[in-house]
Amino acid sequence: MKSEILYPGAFPMVRVELAAGETVKAESGAMVACSPTVDVESKMEGGFLGALSRRMLSGEKFFFQTLRATRGAGEVLLAPTVPGDIVILELDGVNEYLVQKDGFLAGADSVKIESKMQSLSRGLLGGEGFFILRMSGTGTLVLNSFGAIHKVELKPDQEYIVDNSHLVAWTATTSYNIEKASAGWIASFTSGEGLVCRFRGPGVVYIQSRNPGGFGNWIRQFIPVSE
Amino acid sequence: MSQCSPNALCFGDGLPGAGVPCHAEVNPAGLVLDLGEASAETIPFSSFSIDAGGFDHDHLVLKWQARSGSRTLYLKDPHLIRAFRQAAPPELTAHVERTAQQVRRARHGRRTILLVALGSLVGLILLLWLGSDTLVQMAVSRIPVEWEQPIGEAARSQFLAGQTVVKEGPAVAAVQEITKRLADAAPGNPYKFEVTVVRSDVVNAFALPGGYVVVFTGLLKKAESPEEVAGVLAHELNHVLLRHGLERIVKTAGLVAVVTIVVGDQQGLVGLAKRLGVELLTLKFGREQETQADLQGLQLLHRAKIAPDGMIHFFERLSESDKLQVEILSTHPMSAARADRLKAEAASLSRQTPEPFSFEWSAVQAGL
Ligand SMILES: [Zn+2]
Repeated sequence: MKSEILYPGAFPMVRVELAAGETVKAESGAMVACSPTVDVESKMEGGFLGALSRRMLSGEKFFFQTLRATRGAGEVLLAPTVPGDIVILELDGVNEYLVQKDGFLAGADSVKIESKMQSLSRGLLGGEGFFILRMSGTGTLVLNSFGAIHKVELKPDQEYIVDNSHLVAWTATTSYNIEKASAGWIASFTSGEGLVCRFRGPGVVYIQSRNPGGFGNWIRQFIPVSE
Repeated sequence: MSQCSPNALCFGDGLPGAGVPCHAEVNPAGLVLDLGEASAETIPFSSFSIDAGGFDHDHLVLKWQARSGSRTLYLKDPHLIRAFRQAAPPELTAHVERTAQQVRRARHGRRTILLVALGSLVGLILLLWLGSDTLVQMAVSRIPVEWEQPIGEAARSQFLAGQTVVKEGPAVAAVQEITKRLADAAPGNPYKFEVTVVRSDVVNAFALPGGYVVVFTGLLKKAESPEEVAGVLAHELNHVLLRHGLERIVKTAGLVAVVTIVVGDQQGLVGLAKRLGVELLTLKFGREQETQADLQGLQLLHRAKIAPDGMIHFFERLSESDKLQVEILSTHPMSAARADRLKAEAASLSRQTPEPFSFEWSAVQAGL
């Protein structure tokens, strides 16, 4: 599997080249176009309960789509739903990434995806909920963000604070705690707003330059309410 | 240069932030580390300080001072970690052994909780699969009232999208007054009932979970008195108070809804209601639920000091005439028995002088 970002910036796409028989997992609905040699299967990753838990516990993604080059080599074009950057990472079997539920766009078949429960205190306070996706294994992993994607590299024991809703992904070697950004526990408990993650290196944290929830609130004021 | 696959990540001064994949091996003297440079180096056990780390605290973290600066190595491979723990002097690993034990204990506890939760979930699903009403009610009783609002709201806005809403006027004021009288009289009512009047010849009304009431102008035209409207609303309000709509959702969506409720994910439940929205509106409740809503509705009228004759009269008119083609019959099949049961029930209620409404019904109807 070879992948390449087309039109980097706000409205990118990913072209994935598949050899005969190769497959790529993608967020359901991410496929834009593909060669006639490619078949689309909706596969439930990790069995029925696995898919159920992802659908119910980690947002909208009931299935991952599996795109298989059944009848010979071909290419697939994939795009995320929201405008924003795409980043391609290579998993080498040692590094692992924790990805916020909307950050996953596509991955090689050899990339293992698990939904992972955050510890109770983190999950309770985090706007992203209890479940995040843990990516391990080997091969290409494609993530997408809302807005531009910014990479922060942390040295061992170096700390960095990121607003909860701007998180895309981070490495498993990076430890973190969720903290409130300011006074006012009530607001934090009910909305998850005003929470920040204190990361501690070593590792890498990917953050997005826009906050999907904040953007949603901003745009809502222009939508006439149909009574 | 060995071509061994990487099994560790090395961080430190001058190394990339994401870490360098490298290969580590344990030998009696220490750890042999191959960073892909000229030659592998052996780091003696004595130079390490060690700890547990990583997302699940299942990485072994080794720190030491190299000539080129401080180094941090993350080991993940369980075989490698075991080999290290066996070969390293006990004073070095004692602290980690303690941490590992804590992690193991925590993980064991978590697994037990998970197994118990999974077991009860599977049990619940199986029983629901067999269609036990008690379990449906149990699941429904776990839904907090605040959750009902977004569910009903989603269904209402979906329904209203294609409708003409009557925003103000005597009809709206009248329906609001009737609803308020009833809502205030309902004991321990947690809902803030919100009424929408829709311009349509449909003779019907319905109430959605969370207390969203929709009344069609057709019903107001057909009703001979406000007490008749109050009778229909008293019935509908009780579908909400008795949470019949939620029961319906849980029965329809079964497994998924129960999982959602048990796990406590409101987002999922709202999404579910959105998908079921149309069905939610056209639902026919079971006969038992209808009888319950009738009888409780009658009680509610009595509590609100509204004459129950209106309700009974309206139901009688509906059951008498098949020619009266009204939509309320499609969701509420009327029978003479139903009106008779209400009559018998009404006779058992204590006598009281009904309090009139503040509006003139003829004026309300004239404004339609
Ligand atoms: Zn009814």
